Parts: sequence; C-alpha cells; structure tokens
Amino acid sequence: MCDGVALSWREIPDELIGKHGLQRRLVKRGEDADREVQFLQRDRQPVLPVWAGGQLWVWTWGPGAQSRLPTNCCCNNESLEAGRWSWLEPQPVEIPASYVWHKGVWYQAVGGIRGILVYDALGIPHVYVLTQPASHYYKVMTRSDRMPVFLGDGI
Amino acid sequence: MKTTELIGHVDSDCFYVSAERVRHEHLRRIPVGVLGNQGACVIAKSYELKARGVKTGMPIWDAAPLCPDAVFVKRDFRWYEVLSRKLLGIIRSVSPQVEYYSIDEMFFDASALHEPAENLQQRILSEVGIPVSIGISRSRTLAKLMSDVRKPFGCCTITEKEEIENFIHLQPVEELCGIGYRSTRKLHQHGIRTCWQFTQANRHFIRKLLTIKGEALWWELQGEAVTPILTERKKHKAIARGGSIGRPSTDRDRLWAWTVRDAERLIEELDFHRVLVGELVMKLSYKTAGDWSRSVRFASPTCDFDKLLEAAHRLHLVACLELQGHAITHIDLIAERLCERGAEQRSLFEVDEGNSSIARLKRETNAKLGRFALRSAATLPLTDIYNDEAFNYDVCDIRDKTCF
Repeated sequence: MCDGVALSWREIPDELIGKHGLQRRLVKRGEDADREVQFLQRDRQPVLPVWAGGQLWVWTWGPGAQSRLPTNCCCNNESLEAGRWSWLEPQPVEIPASYVWHKGVWYQAVGGIRGILVYDALGIPHVYVLTQPASHYYKVMTRSDRMPVFLGDGI
Repeated sequence: MKTTELIGHVDSDCFYVSAERVRHEHLRRIPVGVLGNQGACVIAKSYELKARGVKTGMPIWDAAPLCPDAVFVKRDFRWYEVLSRKLLGIIRSVSPQVEYYSIDEMFFDASALHEPAENLQQRILSEVGIPVSIGISRSRTLAKLMSDVRKPFGCCTITEKEEIENFIHLQPVEELCGIGYRSTRKLHQHGIRTCWQFTQANRHFIRKLLTIKGEALWWELQGEAVTPILTERKKHKAIARGGSIGRPSTDRDRLWAWTVRDAERLIEELDFHRVLVGELVMKLSYKTAGDWSRSVRFASPTCDFDKLLEAAHRLHLVACLELQGHAITHIDLIAERLCERGAEQRSLFEVDEGNSSIARLKRETNAKLGRFALRSAATLPLTDIYNDEAFNYDVCDIRDKTCF
C-alpha cells in the first residue's frame, strides 16, 4: 500500500510549509541533495499533499481523530468501485510525490499517486491513498500484495 | 584487420543510474539503485549507494536496510538504448572505427582524435547527459584499465612506453578485463599480483597458465595491440534466451510457460540473424544450487518454431522427471551449431516444410501490432510478466553489441 510519500520542497509553497509546520519534515538524502518534505503515515498527525481544484493542499491522511471514518490510511479501489465508500461521497484527488515509501523501500513514482478526499462530520477534509492489486514487479520489490494507483506510468 | 596506433575506451559512469538522472533530475546527488530481475536485485547503483555498501546483484531486501533512504527505480532498457545509441553516434563522429562493445562501453580508434579526450567527455555530457570516463593508450586492455582507474568522470591518456610501465606498476592484476577469480588465484599462486609483474613473467608461462587469452593480455599490457577494434559483431556461435524466472518455481505449467516465452524470443533472434539451429540446449538452475543441462540435436538444421518448441517440450518433460521437487530459478534455451540459412546440409529423410502458418501469422501480427501482441497460449500463466512492458525488452534485445 503506502507508508509515506516524499515531495521536493520546491514544489510546496512556503506558505503551506509554514502553515503546517512542514519544516520539521524536511530531509536530505545526501549532503548535496535537494531538500524534500516527507509525509509519513507513522507521524503523530499524518498528512498528505493533495492537488485539488487547481491548488496544492495539505490535508489529514486517514481518519485522524475521527472515529466514524474508515480506520485505514488507504482505500481499496475495488471497494470504492463496489460503492462501499459512497456514503462518504468520495472525490478523486491527486497526491503529488517524487517518491513513495512502502515496507522499507523508497521508490520513484513519476507523477504521484491517486487518492480520494472525504469530509468528516465537521467538514474537515481527509485523504485516503487509493490502492490496487500489486503488479508482479511490485510484489517482488516490496513483498506486498497491494500497491498505490499511480498517476503516471505504473510500476 | 587493420590495427590502430591509439585505442580509446569510453565507459559510462553507473550508466543505468545516469540514464535515469537524465530524465529525472531529482535523482541527482542521492543514493539510487536500478532494479532488475523483476524487482528483486540491484543491477546498477549510484556512487552514493555504493558508498553505503550496496553491491550490484544484491537483493532489494538486503540493499534497502543498508541504505534506508535510497531510492529504487525500475529498469527501462528502451530508454537506456536511446542514450547508448546517442553516445555511439558522438563517438562515431570523431573516430572512423568504433566498437559498440556493450550498452555503456565503446572502443574507438583514437589516432584520429584531434582534440583532448576531456573535450569529447564534455561533449558527451552536454549532448547526452551521461558522465563518462575515457582511457586512451596503445591497446584496448590498457585503454580499458585507464578508464576504469580514473572513474568516475576521469580521463587518462598514456601512450609512452615508460609512462605505461609506471602506470601498470601498481595496478592489481585482477583489475584486468578477462582476469576473473580463478585466473587471479592462479596468478597469485605464482606471485603475480600486479600488472607489472604480469608483464615481467615469461610469455610462454602465461600462455600455459591462462591459455591464448592470457597471452593476448600479456602483449596488450606491453602496449602491443593484438585485439583489434571490431566495427561489426562476429557471427554468433550460439544464441541464448532466458534467465531468471523470478520466484523459484516447481509449477510445471509456469515452467513450461517460461520455456515457451524463451523459445519465442529465441526464434525472433534466429530470424533476425538468418540462421538455423542444429542443436537446442536447455539449461536450468535450481534453488539447491545445482545446474542441469540437456540437449536435442535436429536431423537437419531448422528455424521452424514448431520443431524448436517440440524439442523444448521434450527437454522440459525430461527436466520435470529428473528435477522433481526442485524449485527452478533460471531457464535458458541455447541454440547451438548455427549455420546460415541456405548453407545448411539437408537431411535425406526429413522434409523441412518451413514455418507453420500459425508461426508465420504470429510473426506478421507482432511485426504490425508489437512484440508479443500474439503469443502462444502456453504462456498464459505469465500474464503478469507480459502485462509489464519493461519485461518485454531486455539488454540482450539491444543488437550489434560485441560483448553481452
């Protein structure tokens, strides 16, 4: 599925970095490497970058403190198509990412991954990563049966 | 064949990673591994990843813990070939004789080079985006040794005998292309540890120890070019298709599917080179570290897909019987005793009816719609493999290389 995504800090407006305190999520993979913001599921308050309505947002990843929302951080694409999320009126969104992290492996995800946006009872947005059955390559690489739905070329 | 006064060797620095960095700039200056073997192994690594102890061939599940912030990328040989041919084009523009040795290495006649190697290096970087190291000397062995030693992004031109002697003085003998683990051990047993010591040994002794190939290295290290630049690939003695099958398997249907896939790829290659096969060899590796090999000899050389498949099926059945319970990891089909079409000795008792109409239809359809658009139904257990475009083009599909 997905344990985190990373996005170059250049792609995130300073305003969003300041507003959501993303400075503490800034990391460099090497001494001379570009800085990137890592959005991890294991964070105390997990969030994700989301493209919606022609704008970049940072929204809560998964249910947060809302116990009435599905407790996973991901949405199974088959269950979405079967209508099991329709009571939440999900909207498709794009999650920009340079890299995705899953089962201890960072891999390149050109274009990013797909997600859905739902609102809780207070009207607060929550994002879930959309997943699908893993390709053979993905299964071998991560030993996982599910993978995100990719925006660009699949892997 | 004409020998040249000076030979150059261009060697791309971590080529697959550099190729990925050409189209994805964010991969620069970070540890990057390119994954092959269906996502299981690191087939190329950046210098940043190498510094963390990750080696080529290492499984992803060992590499990722060694460097948790490394980014892994899927291999794409179509893209690597585009850059490789661009690189080849540049070298051909400065030299009349160029050998396309491998996807990332080329030898060239450097006698005609009218500018310093550094200029060529900069031109390649600006036009292709790939950093390369260049060695220029009096033989290809010396040129390759020099480009290797100066990596990454180095240049080394040594042509005078005295300077060559100084250069090889401290180079370990195992750095020589063609000196593998066994040869190194043999040489060490005789106190030969450096290239200099290698040149000082008796030539006949080296020939006795390492055959004629060892003797060629001996001459080349003296600055005598005995191995010419090959501007065209020599005719194949054998053509093979196959390799790892991903997760080890005992499933007969899956193993047969891999065999048929290899046979379909093999026939493509036989057709391209216009050759017939006299003997088909099947080689298998299995998990308990064993190798198995059997062959079928044809009554007369053939390029008929059905005959090839029938022979492969016989070998498959024998393998299933003899290797019952062993999990197979690799399957290779090797076409041996090749001869040019039209030059074969025909059997008195067998009528070669040529390719069946189904094989012909398959070839024509795939020529129009793309490779594997139409394939044998026996390959259905591998739909997951065929669905992935990256699996359908391998490094061995890049033609004209003189090495692998």
